[in-house]
Amino acid sequence: METQIPHDSAIGHVTGEAIYIDDILVNEQLLIGKVVYSQYAHARIKSFDLSEAKKVNGVHVVLCYKDIPGHNQMGPVIKDEPVLAEQDITFIGQAMFLIAAETEEKCREAEKLIKVEYEPLDAILTLDEAIEKNSLLGPPREMKRGDVDIALKSSKHVLRGELRTGAQEHWYLETQTCLCVPGEGNEINVFSSTQHPTETQTLIAEVLGIKRNEVVVEVRRMGGGFGGKETQANHVACWTALLCNVTKRPVKIRLFRDDDMIMTGKRHRYLTKYEAGFDDEGLIDAVKLEFNSDGGAATDLSFAIMERTMLHADNSYYIPNMSVTALVWKTNLPPNTAMRGFGGPQGMASMETVIDRVARYLKKDPIEIRRKNFYGLNDRNITHYGQTVENNRLYIIYDQILKSADYEKRRKEISDFNTQNEFFKKGLALTPVKFGISFTTTFLNQAGALVNVYTDGTILVNHGGTEMGQGLNTKMQFIAAAEFGISIDRVKVNATNTSKVPNTSATAASSGSDMNGMAVKNAIDIIKERISKELAQLWNEKDVNHPSVPSSIIFKDNFIFDSDHPDRRISFANAMKQMNLRQVSLSSAGFYKTPTIGWDKIKGQGKPFFYYSFGMAASEVMIDILTGQYTLLRSDILQDVGDSINPEIDLGQIEGGFIQGVGWCTTEEIKWDTKGNLMTHSPDTYKIPTVQDIPKDFRVKLTEGVPNPVGTIRRSKAIGEPPFMLAISVWLAIKDAISAVGNHKIEPEFSLPATNETILLSIEKIKTFKVLKTLKV
Amino acid sequence: MRSAISFILDEKIVDLDFKNFKEFSPTSTVLNYLRSLPTHKGVKEGCAEGDCGACTVVLAELVDNKITYRAVDSCLIFLPMIHGKQLITVENLKTPEGKLHPVQQSMIELYGSQCGFCTPGIIMSMFALYKNNNKPTREQIDNALTGNLCRCTGYRPIVEAAEKSCVHNCVDHFSNNEPQIMKLLKSISKESIHIQTHNQRYFRPASLGEAISLKHQHPETIIIGGATDIALRVTKSHELLKEIIDLSGIEELKNIVATESSIIIGSGVSMDDIIPKVKKDFSALYEMLSVFGAKQIRNLATLGGNLGSASPIGDVIPVLMAYNASVVLESLNGRREIPLNDFIVGYRKTVRKSDELITSILIPKPTSGSIVKSYKVSKRKELDISTLSAGFRLELDKNKVKLITLAYGGMAEITKRATKTEQFLIGKDWKRNVVEEAIQYINKDFNPISDVRGSAEFRKIAAKNLLFKFYIEGRNVI
Repeated sequence: METQIPHDSAIGHVTGEAIYIDDILVNEQLLIGKVVYSQYAHARIKSFDLSEAKKVNGVHVVLCYKDIPGHNQMGPVIKDEPVLAEQDITFIGQAMFLIAAETEEKCREAEKLIKVEYEPLDAILTLDEAIEKNSLLGPPREMKRGDVDIALKSSKHVLRGELRTGAQEHWYLETQTCLCVPGEGNEINVFSSTQHPTETQTLIAEVLGIKRNEVVVEVRRMGGGFGGKETQANHVACWTALLCNVTKRPVKIRLFRDDDMIMTGKRHRYLTKYEAGFDDEGLIDAVKLEFNSDGGAATDLSFAIMERTMLHADNSYYIPNMSVTALVWKTNLPPNTAMRGFGGPQGMASMETVIDRVARYLKKDPIEIRRKNFYGLNDRNITHYGQTVENNRLYIIYDQILKSADYEKRRKEISDFNTQNEFFKKGLALTPVKFGISFTTTFLNQAGALVNVYTDGTILVNHGGTEMGQGLNTKMQFIAAAEFGISIDRVKVNATNTSKVPNTSATAASSGSDMNGMAVKNAIDIIKERISKELAQLWNEKDVNHPSVPSSIIFKDNFIFDSDHPDRRISFANAMKQMNLRQVSLSSAGFYKTPTIGWDKIKGQGKPFFYYSFGMAASEVMIDILTGQYTLLRSDILQDVGDSINPEIDLGQIEGGFIQGVGWCTTEEIKWDTKGNLMTHSPDTYKIPTVQDIPKDFRVKLTEGVPNPVGTIRRSKAIGEPPFMLAISVWLAIKDAISAVGNHKIEPEFSLPATNETILLSIEKIKTFKVLKTLKV
Repeated sequence: MRSAISFILDEKIVDLDFKNFKEFSPTSTVLNYLRSLPTHKGVKEGCAEGDCGACTVVLAELVDNKITYRAVDSCLIFLPMIHGKQLITVENLKTPEGKLHPVQQSMIELYGSQCGFCTPGIIMSMFALYKNNNKPTREQIDNALTGNLCRCTGYRPIVEAAEKSCVHNCVDHFSNNEPQIMKLLKSISKESIHIQTHNQRYFRPASLGEAISLKHQHPETIIIGGATDIALRVTKSHELLKEIIDLSGIEELKNIVATESSIIIGSGVSMDDIIPKVKKDFSALYEMLSVFGAKQIRNLATLGGNLGSASPIGDVIPVLMAYNASVVLESLNGRREIPLNDFIVGYRKTVRKSDELITSILIPKPTSGSIVKSYKVSKRKELDISTLSAGFRLELDKNKVKLITLAYGGMAEITKRATKTEQFLIGKDWKRNVVEEAIQYINKDFNPISDVRGSAEFRKIAAKNLLFKFYIEGRNVI
């Protein structure tokens, strides 16, 4: 079957006809909602007065926490996030009041008339302050193998250091948006740009004090999510629902870009401390890591994110003695949240820093150290948390990319270039990614679907996943068509709707296609079994002597036939009419839960992941040592996708994830001022990559002919997150170029993102160091 | 004099009279107008500040009896600014028979969209590219698309879609329809527009003379050229701008005159129109303009507006200072020419009197022996405001410094010359150790601040390095 199927919304995208929430036509009863948020990072509300705001002509309601009929809580796991602040303000951007008015202008007018008296309190705004004041968000965690302290003592060489990695804003093009339309009685229809419709439904029910069967959440598509709409879309949805509930009118809240950036959480910034012991050859015997993340003012998903950091602290390397300590710190900043990679990037950047430093210390090429420490195929293949690394593709990918990227030759050329050029330096790095696929909270690994077949032979697929651009619906469309043996144009994938498929998990952890694909297949298998049975019976009624057996009935090329009796053949559409006449149900729910996994969170041992996804990238950069500006000259990527369901869509995930990672590693820098105000609150100051920031020479390949052995849907592999971390190659290539300024004799000071400022200041230190050294001599 | 505006949308003339048009004001943006229509929801708001391109539309207008197509950010355009133009949105790209435009078709085939939210804007930028460049180079494609942020794709398929589609000699169904559109455009009156609502006054004079007398009568009025800066006061700060004089309808301000010794650029010429005209003789200005904002901004922003706003960073101001440019001011009292060096006197403050308008910028051609260079240091090379910028000029006499201008932006509250460094260098040998000594004087010239775009330390180091870079690069020229 043809796999080159365009995105199922592509025509809608290019014509502008694809409908996002803000585009839904609503009658003139629509009210515009606005969230009034705090201007203090830490304060107590002494009093507030909404009376003047309520008087504004055109303003329908102004709400505070007292107006919440149900629970004033919207934390996804831990209930530590009020929907509207009561007394305590814990970050700038925290919602305090809600306004619904006929226009945005009226909302703004009312907002200006709200009076709040605050008592400002001391705020914790940096990780260092949080650590100093012991402001933990929850208990520390530890994972261990061997005795790392003893191993470090007996190691020939030991390196220690610290790494800081920065926060990252999701910058989905469509800001957080929700439209609520009241129904009969308590019913409420919610159109939310959410990655987690079930949780949105749950929280709205709790906040409004109504039952879950009274809330319907629908998601046609999101204008990007990247994790930013996994939990935090719930907030906007709860606020909109509250306004809708009181006014009994349709209400829409669409966050203004700056408000979205100010109010919502980001990728966690980390401070990592490391210690590594190794021998002369660079074989690593022990690594001790301490991760400190900035959780912000509430828990959100910080602990799950930190768990993934701990589980990816090894990246692709077997470390016999390893200890990982993890601390999540509480600060007065918006609660940080899921973002593509979900803690993985911070873990991997740390381990890759260790590898890079070991190599520089031993004056070896880092790839030599990497290969030496890769997980083995048959031994040295158990992770620090006890899962065996099966179907290890590291060596195959490494050998291929080394060749295809012409690594050795370019390494030499770069070295020559650096000798000849005083003011421009080039750098090269090749880094691997091994990413575990599954939610580490095991019960979340379940998905549902509802497949309807109509009597004209068309199919409507409902599933629990959400479409945010990743092509999930396109893959589901393909799976349904392939399983039914019909052409793709007969299959339509419906908007995700909690009344069709209930109790779903978030579309996250790269698991959307794996899980929902299997659930869709399960539903189809059930329907096909009914059809096969009935068709066999139908054919047998005509000819009892040569019975058809259901197991021989084949669905192919828009026909259904009996492979034992090829003349017994009926078009798919006709068959469906027959089924209807013969009272066969043509609709079925489907379900899937990921098999073979099991994870003991307390012990930190088990098999959290169904399988691993592997990939590698080699990147070359050039830096201008007088300005710190860098150019990404070339990136080669080889990514393992199993048997791809849609190679072009997978390629899009790889390239897009990689470039988003390049942003995190280079130009995307989040800054807060000393009061806790976000300084980078718009694209004027927050810089995601443009078309000119992609590699000048960009070569991306998928592995071929290596199906996923573990029995995923059509033997494919998850692709959403792993490529993000391939961008670490760009970051370390920049470090390699900086290192060339000191002829690789001085370890550069380095952090993430490597902005032009970071680069220039690092170069300056090397220059100063060189001068000092000359003076000493 | 008219109080209504007229433009073409969906191939029909739309007349908007703000008097009986309560929902919108003269400072309502084209984006908000379009989104209020049930049939034009394709245009998206991504940032409301011209930094993401999701709201990109194309404006077609008559220039020298030909229709030109330009991509612009609709979030930054006040409605009266599209008077007399054709507004083209993503909904207009299909043929009347419903066939997709080549740029749409290749975006689908090459998987150029993922979440699709940026796509309508990208389609419109690509459409403008299609209409202006047959078989565009990669540089032209990058140039056309830099103003469109996409967070999903990593851009590669989008670039390929442009390469694949822009190959039909710029011909499409819009070409067939041009005679009809030209007729409609010509039917729209070019006369001045005065809009008065209950709380706003908006003037769009048709001649310079009228603009000057308006400015005389309303000295405190806000002047806009392309409005890319002023519009932010509406879209971001939600300010009510009570009185505006919009110069975008004045043809006299859109001329570029090149003479033997200089170039005179009308204050209303868009940045993008200046670029090809300065490529040959003013390469440093060319370089700087090429990285100024993005295509959609350059199509709107004017040099007059940029100088009038006197931003302390003002990407192009240092290089114009290096060229020894002058600003021409006009009022009812006459015309005067002020060297740019003396024009800016404080944070966003100039010597322009309240009744004066900037009408042109005069840039003398550098003498054959002099070298002029411009530099921009920013977090992201394109579509970013400089952390610091510089314009340098050097003339040597037997390898001794005869003349040197070192103008910096982003190092003080105004764009400023490093006079102490300049003084040190005058008369000295132009060689490495002298320059290395000279850069130490930068510390005496400037005491920069730390802000969101960079620390003081970074600025100091980079400022010094730029001078050194100027020396290194100059070595090869001299």
